[in-house]
Amino acid sequence: MSLQPKTKRILWVSAIVLVVLIALGAWFTLTKFFREEKEVFANEDEHFKYGSLGAEGDRGIPYYLWLVLPRVFPDLMPGPGGYKSLGVVWEEGHEIPVGFSKKVVGFARITNNCAVCHTATYRLREDEVPHVVVAGPAHTNNVQSMLRFLFKAAHDPRFNSDIIMNEIRLVSANNYGNGGLSFIDRQIYHYLLIPFTQKALLQQEKQFTWMERFVTGGKPKPHWAPGRDDAMNLTKYFMTSMPEDDTFGPTDFPSIWNLGIRSGKDNAGKQMLLNWTGDTPAVRSVLIDSALGLGAPARPWFLQRMADLDNYLSNLPPPPWPFGETNPINQQMAGEGQKIYTHDCAACHEPRAEFTNKVIPVTEIKTDPERMYSWSKDAAAEANRRVKQLGIDRPPMVETQNPYGYVSPPLDGIWLRAPYLHNGSVPSLRDLLNPSNERPQTFHRGYDVFDPVKVGFKEPQPRPSGPSGELTQPYFLFDTREKGNGNQGHTYGTQLSNEDKEKLLEYLKTL
Amino acid sequence: MNCAICHAGSARETPQSTPVIYAGMPSNTVDLEGFERFIFACASDQRFNAPRVMAEIEAIGGRYDFINRFLLRFYAIPFMRERLLMLKSHFRFAEWEPDAGTGRTDTFNPAKTLLEFPLEKLETRELVGLCDFPSIWMQGLRKQKNLHAHWDGNNSLMEERNKSASFGTGAFPPTIDLKQLARVEQWLLTKEPPKYPFPIDTQLGTQGEKLYAQYCANCHGRNGRDFSGEYVGDVVPIDKIGTDRHRLDSYTEELAVAQNNLYAGYPCRFSHFRKTFGYANLPLDGIWLRAPYLHNGSVPTVRDLLNSSAERPPVFYRGYDVFDQVKVGFVSDVTRFDDEGRSKDEPENPRKYFRFDTQVKPGGATPRDRNEGNSNAGHEGWEYGTMLSDQEKDAIVEYLKTF
Repeated sequence: MSLQPKTKRILWVSAIVLVVLIALGAWFTLTKFFREEKEVFANEDEHFKYGSLGAEGDRGIPYYLWLVLPRVFPDLMPGPGGYKSLGVVWEEGHEIPVGFSKKVVGFARITNNCAVCHTATYRLREDEVPHVVVAGPAHTNNVQSMLRFLFKAAHDPRFNSDIIMNEIRLVSANNYGNGGLSFIDRQIYHYLLIPFTQKALLQQEKQFTWMERFVTGGKPKPHWAPGRDDAMNLTKYFMTSMPEDDTFGPTDFPSIWNLGIRSGKDNAGKQMLLNWTGDTPAVRSVLIDSALGLGAPARPWFLQRMADLDNYLSNLPPPPWPFGETNPINQQMAGEGQKIYTHDCAACHEPRAEFTNKVIPVTEIKTDPERMYSWSKDAAAEANRRVKQLGIDRPPMVETQNPYGYVSPPLDGIWLRAPYLHNGSVPSLRDLLNPSNERPQTFHRGYDVFDPVKVGFKEPQPRPSGPSGELTQPYFLFDTREKGNGNQGHTYGTQLSNEDKEKLLEYLKTL
Repeated sequence: MNCAICHAGSARETPQSTPVIYAGMPSNTVDLEGFERFIFACASDQRFNAPRVMAEIEAIGGRYDFINRFLLRFYAIPFMRERLLMLKSHFRFAEWEPDAGTGRTDTFNPAKTLLEFPLEKLETRELVGLCDFPSIWMQGLRKQKNLHAHWDGNNSLMEERNKSASFGTGAFPPTIDLKQLARVEQWLLTKEPPKYPFPIDTQLGTQGEKLYAQYCANCHGRNGRDFSGEYVGDVVPIDKIGTDRHRLDSYTEELAVAQNNLYAGYPCRFSHFRKTFGYANLPLDGIWLRAPYLHNGSVPTVRDLLNSSAERPPVFYRGYDVFDQVKVGFVSDVTRFDDEGRSKDEPENPRKYFRFDTQVKPGGATPRDRNEGNSNAGHEGWEYGTMLSDQEKDAIVEYLKTF
């Protein structure tokens, strides 16, 4: 059967129109949803603080939605100030906090990077803008509350396009060619990004049910507290399909500067271990596993970024004691303190010494054991298998034995690593040199005014709030009696005389 | 509203003279908070309904065609009421701080509420943010020297400060008329403050010039047109300057970072807000029209400011625009007003002026009850000239008239 010439022509025209439409559609989809904009940073510090790890596809929150969430749900935030009230580090002049990345993949998306848990702030007085130290422990950041905020918001009836777009329109809409969200972009937000993000958040929440699990005895797990997470449970439930359990392994964010001295073999040629219970033998593996946990996909770009971060963090020096003007280090005392350190501390804490970056059995160290229970050799084996399946070649996590103790780390920049011990249960170095029954039973976390005498962060005073001036404490009350929070153990140095403790403290400030 | 609601004022020589209006001067007579209270009260009133308002409009001769009548009836009036009630709830912080009175406003608590900070959870010390309207002329010289704007010097970019101030008039990123704003901005760059219109004793002024150079110039600039000086624009720590700290405390680190999200997605996204811990040293161009003085407008005249706080008037009146040529400021003395705040010099003038009380009342439940934020202390001591002789102080006042 042959077609009439007229029919043929119509078919041809239709085909061309169709091809053009498909091409336009593809171009539109590509630019609006997939086109990546390259990030540019002034230096490596900025890249560390604000650079993307590539998790936009899995975890990216559309920028304008992220921006207005605290304004739509202020009641779900711990206090005034939006995300700042969660204790994130936020440098003046920046549109996003440290540890957040804003990257355009089709549209601008917010994800997190290493700095969200690894950038510290401190100040000497409240009348001072905090100093920001990259790679320091983010002791103010309440990561669990941030997760809970997102999940609670996703469940809230106010999480709908009408309400959220109403708020976004106050922030940004096309202003006669002066920038702002265009009509088409607003429709994309209204009909795609907002509902999809809600779905994705609710989906993600299912990966966190273990966090809200009631432990034996019907009690909820304690709060992670600012500056901590449940590190190995995060790894376990992201990278393995092991059944949920009751373990709670609170982990103080470590500093991640100077990783070079923690890497490889020690002076005697023995392998050094990382993570609080010595779960991983290599810096690169810790970086990769942590970044995978933030939702980054394994692609060549990602592995290159990991190599760059490894290089950057391995050579990043710890911050020197900054209070030379107000609280100078007494060099003579420090000199005497060094002798005490060499005698009592160096074997476990001097870089590449016999016991440094090795597991000290819990029967010896006697610190809180819960963090050990949250990980196992089976979990390590399965996680190793998964990472291999992703096509990533990295030194595997230790799968020969279950955790049995805690790693003794080098003490570089120890002054800024408060609170101390693996679970951050001792507020200051001076307290750590006291026997555990003399260490504070409760204290507050998340306050960044530094105590240069005790070496740690000060205890914040409650402050009058609201029109009636009612005294309230905005910081997190940390109770060492709760599961996983015990402040016992590490009694080394507690028998020293007060004078010797002061000398040792003086030396520790120089590290 | 536009910029002039807060930045255009008036002055007159005697109660009998016609007021002269000066653009760019602090709006010394405007009770912005009174205006807000009035329209919020209107919106809450049962009479604010479309049929009633339409009837009132028609009663004064308003005529609309069918379409406009329909829009007003079913959209504009109900929508306006809804918006006003929303704003009323947003602005509830005004009930926790003392009355602003004429010529003052709370600058940054509105920003917090519009960013949806939960107001009840704010710290008590940040609830009072009242401050005096500033003059806005001679912006070019300020921009050149990169002087930080706002009383506490919390922003260094003029264009950003202007957009921030525009929020106060209701101009949001999607609606703001950037062209018109740029035009005003351009005009303000070179807009000169008006010359002092009354006689000046030049001999006394010359004597004052020397004293000014010695005591004031380092912080306030060489004169009214030359803003050079070692500390001009610097933020003086609050403990040193000693003035009322409420306005400073009302601006917080939380707000500073949140404001850097304003104009998100536009090329002009804010990025210059910062938290400071004191008040900024300002140039004194046109200072004769900028009474009352200090950031909270707690000192009625230049001459009073040169006295120690114990000698400054504890209570005075604001909003009256007859000029006081001796003390340089507006007539404000309590003896010139009756108990209701009416001027004794103008019996036929019905306006009640604002009684400004600088003293804290002990024991109250809220900052408002305690009358916090109005202290006239600070900016005193030998460095600030308050130990000079009366004659020397008069000389400085005379010289400042030339600014």
